[in-house]
Parts: sequence; C-alpha cells; structure tokens
Amino acid sequence: MELRTKELFNSMFLFALLALIIFNFAFAGSMPKSVLAGALWVAFLFASVLGLNRSFVKEQDKGCLEGLLLAPADRSAIYFGKFLGNLVFLLFVEAVSLPLVTVFFNRTEIVRHPLELAGILILGSIAISSVGTILSAITANTKTRELLLPILLFPLMIPVIIGAVEITAYIFEPKGTIGQWLRLLVVYDIIFVLVPYILFDYVVEE
Amino acid sequence: MKADWSKILSVATLIMMFVSLYLIFIYAPIEKTMGVVQKIFYVHVSTAWTGFLAFFVVFVSSIIFLRNGSRLADIVAYASAEIGVLFTSLTLITGPMWARSFWGKWWDWSEPRLVTALILWFIYLGYLILHRSAGEDVRRARFTSVFGIIAFINVPIVFLSVRWYRASHPPLLVFEPGGLDPSMKVAFFVTLFAFTLLYLWLLNLGTRAGKVQDELRTLKEGL
Repeated sequence: MELRTKELFNSMFLFALLALIIFNFAFAGSMPKSVLAGALWVAFLFASVLGLNRSFVKEQDKGCLEGLLLAPADRSAIYFGKFLGNLVFLLFVEAVSLPLVTVFFNRTEIVRHPLELAGILILGSIAISSVGTILSAITANTKTRELLLPILLFPLMIPVIIGAVEITAYIFEPKGTIGQWLRLLVVYDIIFVLVPYILFDYVVEE
Repeated sequence: MKADWSKILSVATLIMMFVSLYLIFIYAPIEKTMGVVQKIFYVHVSTAWTGFLAFFVVFVSSIIFLRNGSRLADIVAYASAEIGVLFTSLTLITGPMWARSFWGKWWDWSEPRLVTALILWFIYLGYLILHRSAGEDVRRARFTSVFGIIAFINVPIVFLSVRWYRASHPPLLVFEPGGLDPSMKVAFFVTLFAFTLLYLWLLNLGTRAGKVQDELRTLKEGL
C-alpha cells in the first residue's frame, strides 16, 4: 500500500511537471499570465487521470472491492474514502509542483497569494476528484479501462476548467470579476459530491 | 400493436418532412440580409432541439431504470442516446455551414449554443463507447444509467459556463435571430414537429431493435 502510493505520487508529480515543461517549449518560452493559469490546470487535470485510473483497478484485480463491500459499513463510505483519497493525492501533487513551477518559470505571482490559490486548487480538485472517482469505479469494470476514463471525464470537466482558469488568472493578475465563477464552482462541487454519493450504490452493487 | 405505431409514425414523418420542405423552400420568403443560406436555420435549430430532447429522454429513462430495473427503460435510453448523437452531429455540420456565410468563419467559440452542442456531442459519444465496452450483463445498464444521469445534470452547467465565458471574451458579432417573419415561424415550427416525429420513429425502431437483440441473446443462451 505504502509503496504503491509512493509510485503513483511520483508518476503523477513528474507527469504534471513534464506537461508544464512541454507547455513552456510549446509556447516558445514565453507564457503570458493567462496561459500560465490554463497550463497549470491542464497539467493537473491530465495528471489526475493517472491517479484516478488506479483507484479502482487494483481492487478489481485482487478482489478487494468484494472485501470492502462485505464490510459492515455504508457503501457510500467507500465512495467518500476513495474520493477523499484521490482529492488529497491530487492536492499534494499540486502543492509540490507549484513551488517548482514558480522557480522554473520565474513567476512570483504564483506564490504571492498562497491562501487564495490554495482555495481555488481545493475547489477545482474537489470537482475533478468527485466526478473522477465515480467514473473510475465505472470504467474499472469495462474492457477498455484506462482508455475510457479521460474520454468520459474531460467533457464533464469543461465548466470546472473554465471557472478554475478564470479564477486562477484573476489571482495572478486581478482583472474583471470572478464572483459568478466562484459560485459556479461551489455549486458544481456541491452537486457532484452529492450526486455520485447517491448513485455510487448502483455502481458497486453485485 | 407496436408494428402499427411504427407504420403510423413512419408515414406521418414522411408527410411532415415533405410539408416542411415545401414550407422552407417555397412558402417562407428568402431572408433579406442572409439570403438563401438562412434556410439552413430551420433544419439546424430543429436538429439541435431534437438532439437535446433525445438526451433528456436518456436522463429520464436512466432514472426509471435505476428505480425499478426496467429492461425497456435501458433499451430506450441507449436508442435515444444514439439518435441524440446523430442529431447533434447534424447540428454541428449545419452550424458551421451557416456560420461561414453569416460570420465569415466556420466556428466561433463565443456562440454558447454551438459550443454546448459540441460538448454534448463528446459527452454522449462517451456514453455510446461506455455502452459498447461495458460487457453484456445488467451491470452495463447500471453503469450507463449512472453516467446518463451525471451527464445530463452537467448540461445546464456547461451551457451557463460557456455563456459566461462569452461575456468575458466578447464575440466579434453577436448573433440573435430577432423577430422572424410569421411565415418563417410557421415553416420553423412545422420543421421542428417533423424532426420530432422523425425522432419518435427512430426511437421506436431503435427500441424494437434492442428488444430483438435481447430475444436473440436469450435464444443463444438457451442453445
């Protein structure tokens, strides 16, 4: 368990960092502020898929999920456990990547408002992890597995990415208003923590 | 009695399609600023609405399936998703054709309805792929139903976010159809009705095909 977590963290972290470095070259070394916010979220979303894909596959292979289902606990507890696990993981990857991005890209604005940035990272990551957790529970049971998760997840993440990028860009450089995007993300988070919670029973039912 | 319904629907669809063609090309006048190209509007908006209706049916059928495990609800959900993707594809083909002559470019990211249609197309194509790769048993129906519900709840949020996105990135030219000529309105609503009939007929066919597949599977298992 310990080893597997470490492996996964390393892969996700390196993936996010590599994605950002590729962005740097793709934009000829000069990323404007608005692009930086977008590049960060694209890197985090893509990295999250690596972690989400693993969250049920192992259980599927080793029959652990049956064991979990036999446990005398509410099945939604499994959902919340998996969701929180994925969320903490993603936040950890983000927290470790950001200081490095600050150094590599010489962007002090990234660390100038750490609290606000932490807030939007949490809001955006809740959405990615909650929808990602239930979709990964579904795709782990299909023939195509890893291939399917991003195809199902990304279109559903478009509102989240738009909102998160607008707010992050605002934190880097205050311009315009973000009230509506904050409301959108909060509402999205509430809906998509509750809906998978209600539906999770149907996914794991044998 | 099912076969009769199918016949009635097919004949009604055929007649209404011809009526709408007549109304679009002969009865309704040619729009002054947009010219003949504006005629695509009738088909474009009708397919968009019918596609949306199809996805709503997926949502409702998914809820019904999860509530009582009705096999029919699952078959209807899948058939409706297939038709919805078909109609959304048509919307996405006719949209850029119209936009090209009206805005001078194929695609504009600031037109929220078109962008929402594109995102819906991706979501429900994912639904079809999920259906295909989730095996054959009852679990597939549960998986697709859960996804069908999550997907549809996303639709208003997607639309809202894309519209707000336009507000912060002003478009070159804002399109609003404004007041339509009464004869154009008639042509539009008749076309909309014709496409809704087409949808119902295709749904009927798809549902029957799904039932036949079920029967075939039962027969195979029996052998």
